Amino acid sequence: MHCKHVALLTVMTSLCVGIQLTPRPPNVEFTSIICFLVGFLFGSPFGAFLGALTMFINGFLSPWGFAGIIMPFQMLGMALMGLVGGVYRKCLGGTPSTSKILNLEISFLAAFLTLIYDIITNVGYAMLFNVNIIFALIAGTWFTIVHVVSNTVLFVAAFFGLVRIVSNLLGENVWSYQKGA
Amino acid sequence: MELSKRSLVIFCLGWLASLVLTSCIAGYYYMESQNLTELLEKYGSCIMRVNICIDYKEWNSTVVWYNDTIVPLGCDLLQATKMVATVNSTYWPTIGASFVDAINGVWKTSLYYWMWRYWDQNENEWKYGPVGADCYKLTNGEIVMWRYEIPSYP
Repeated sequence: MHCKHVALLTVMTSLCVGIQLTPRPPNVEFTSIICFLVGFLFGSPFGAFLGALTMFINGFLSPWGFAGIIMPFQMLGMALMGLVGGVYRKCLGGTPSTSKILNLEISFLAAFLTLIYDIITNVGYAMLFNVNIIFALIAGTWFTIVHVVSNTVLFVAAFFGLVRIVSNLLGENVWSYQKGA
Repeated sequence: MELSKRSLVIFCLGWLASLVLTSCIAGYYYMESQNLTELLEKYGSCIMRVNICIDYKEWNSTVVWYNDTIVPLGCDLLQATKMVATVNSTYWPTIGASFVDAINGVWKTSLYYWMWRYWDQNENEWKYGPVGADCYKLTNGEIVMWRYEIPSYP
């Protein structure tokens, strides 16, 4: 890995962990959007690695306590966020649709990915503690809803704005930046 | 407006997510109702159901019914009313009973008072309560009414 990328990964991971440790309402988080954004701008492997690393560190430092054996599931879920960010960027290609369609797409994608993240972590919990999987999913319904709604709103409100800001900072065209990373 | 294949796939994923969430909500409420039904069955021998009416007709022309209110066995009217409404009452040691001053913020005045009646099943009519609400033990299926009124004893 190029040293520029190592530096970038370190900064982004610190940012994610810092936000993760900030007091906030349960299940309202900003790590998903950052991992998705990084995957979108710098490629799937980079985004996935950032997601996994963030959840690994968060597992030890979280104010809710040591994540323990749930940690691999959290890492997997967040890695998926970064991974899909890169895949989505590839699917968009060089000729993106109108912004309205893109905003709709990103909101649906955010809802779906957040739900997948929650399903992965709930399934992990159910498997490890020998609880019925359906029961685990249903018991966490309201936490899942808060997570899905907050992430959907956050993605719609901030994602493309952040893409523009980061690409301006980097001085690159957003739709071609990934090739150079 | 033509949608690309990518957009359609993503919209389908979003639709799937909403379907799963809706199912989870339905499952959650189903589980809650099962738990509550179990709880009711478990404590079935220690509870009873009463119907409480609060008549504010003289205040704002409304009447509110609390049918099938679950109360503990042997519960008195004052306790039962406190389960469905905010009640302010004063205990009078000289008469050994409580007097209701207000229900849900509607206070007695020098003219209007909160009076309670019970439904007499034999005579099919409302009758004034013979004692203070805290001295009257309710029975299963009983119908009682609080009425904001100018008392009119027969």
